[in-house]
Amino acid sequence: MPTSAPDLGAADQRRRIIDAMIDSCAEKTYAATTITDLVARARISRTTFYKQFDDKRACFDAAIGHCIAQLQEVAAAAHAAEDPPDDAVRKATAAVIEALAQRPGLAQLLTGDAIAVDPRVIECYRKATIPALEALWSQSDGAAKAHSDPRLAFGKAQVLILNQIAIGEADRLPELLPEIVYLAVSPFGGHEAALQQAQIAGESTANDVAAGEQR
Amino acid sequence: MSLPVSSDSPEDLRRWRLPRGRHGLPRELVERSQRERLLAAVVKVTASKGYEATTVGDILGEAGVGRESFYELFDDKLGCMLAAHKILVDDLEQQVRAAYSEGGAWAQRMRRGLATTLGWFAADPDAARFTLVELSTVGPAFRPTFQSEFARAVAVLEGAGGEDAPEPELAQAYSLAAGTILARIYEEIVLDRAAELPRLLPDLTYELLVPFVGEAQARAAADA
Repeated sequence: MPTSAPDLGAADQRRRIIDAMIDSCAEKTYAATTITDLVARARISRTTFYKQFDDKRACFDAAIGHCIAQLQEVAAAAHAAEDPPDDAVRKATAAVIEALAQRPGLAQLLTGDAIAVDPRVIECYRKATIPALEALWSQSDGAAKAHSDPRLAFGKAQVLILNQIAIGEADRLPELLPEIVYLAVSPFGGHEAALQQAQIAGESTANDVAAGEQR
Repeated sequence: MSLPVSSDSPEDLRRWRLPRGRHGLPRELVERSQRERLLAAVVKVTASKGYEATTVGDILGEAGVGRESFYELFDDKLGCMLAAHKILVDDLEQQVRAAYSEGGAWAQRMRRGLATTLGWFAADPDAARFTLVELSTVGPAFRPTFQSEFARAVAVLEGAGGEDAPEPELAQAYSLAAGTILARIYEEIVLDRAAELPRLLPDLTYELLVPFVGEAQARAAADA
C-alpha cells in the first residue's frame, strides 16, 4: 500500500480515466474497449492506470458508481421538499432524462454496457432509487403501497432508453419522457396518477420543442 | 459450396435446437447440413461459455465440422452467431403471431401471445440465454441488432390489435409493452430461472395490460 502523501493529481487522473471509459464504451462498447484505448483517451500512462484500477472491470465498476451518483444528485436537486410525491418523481425523472440526453455515453453505459458486463448491476439501480421512491410516498401517505412491482419498472425503462440509444437518437430521449415518467410514478402512485404525470411531462416536452424551434 | 436455404425454416430450427436423448446427437441431426450443425453448436457453446470466451474452434468441435467449411459458410464467429440468432427470433415471431390468430378478445390475444413467448423461452434455456443475454455482449454489432429486433417486437405486439384493441393513452404504449416483456424475461434468464417463466403469466399479463386498460381490467385479464 502507498504510504507517501497522495498524489495531488490522483483524483483528477481517476476522473479522467472514468471519463475515458464512458466515452470509449459509447463509441465502441465495453467489450471492444482496451486498456490501451483508455490510456490514450485519458492521456495518462499505463502505470498510472494500474495505480488507480486493478483492471478494466474495476475501472468500469467505478464508472458505473460515478454515473449513478451523478444522476442521484441531478434527481435530488430537481424537486422541492414540499412537492407531492408524483410531482417530485416527474421532475426528478425529467431531470435525469435531460442529463442522459446531454451525455448519451452515460445512458449507453448504464443501460447497455453495464447490463452486458454484469446483469446484476440492475440491483444497484434499484438500491439507488426504490428506497427514495418509497420515502417520497410514505412521507405523504404514511406507508408506500405498491400498485405494481417497482423492481420491474427499472428494466422497462432501461429497455426503452437502450433502444433509443441503439437507434442513435440519444438527443431525442426527452421524447420518451411521458413513458418513463409513467414507469417511475406507477409503482407507488398507481396507473391513473402515472398517466396524469405522463401527460404533464408530455406537454412540457412539447413546449420545450416548440420553444427550441422558435429560437 | 451452395447453402441449403431450406434449413433456415423454423421447423428445421426446432428440430436442431431441441435435445434428443442422452447419447450424443441423433443420427438424423448428424446427417443434416454442416450449416445447421454449426448453428446449433454456436447456440449451445455460447450459452454455456459466453460469447466472448467462445472461439470458432469451440464451435467446430461441438459441430464436428472443419474450419475450412466454417469459413465457407460464415465470415466469422459473429456472422455465425447472428445467423443463428435470426432463425431463433424468426421462429418466436411466427409462433406468437400464430397465437394471436387464434382469436378471442384483445386482452385474451395479448395474454396468449405472452404465454407463447414465456413458453418459448422456457422450452430451451440454451436458446433463451443465447437469444437475449449473449447478444448484448457481441460489441458494436449489438446496437443495430437490438434496435431492429426491438422494432420487430413492437410490431408483433401491435399485430395483436384489431377493432377491439384499446386506443392507448401513451404514445409509445407498445414500446412500453415490449420493454415490459423483454426486461422481465431477460432477468429471469440471467438468474437461471428460464424454465419457470410460464409461472409469471398472471403477473406479466397484469404489467403488460395496465398501461392500456387500467388496473381493474388488467387484474381481471390476469386472473382469467
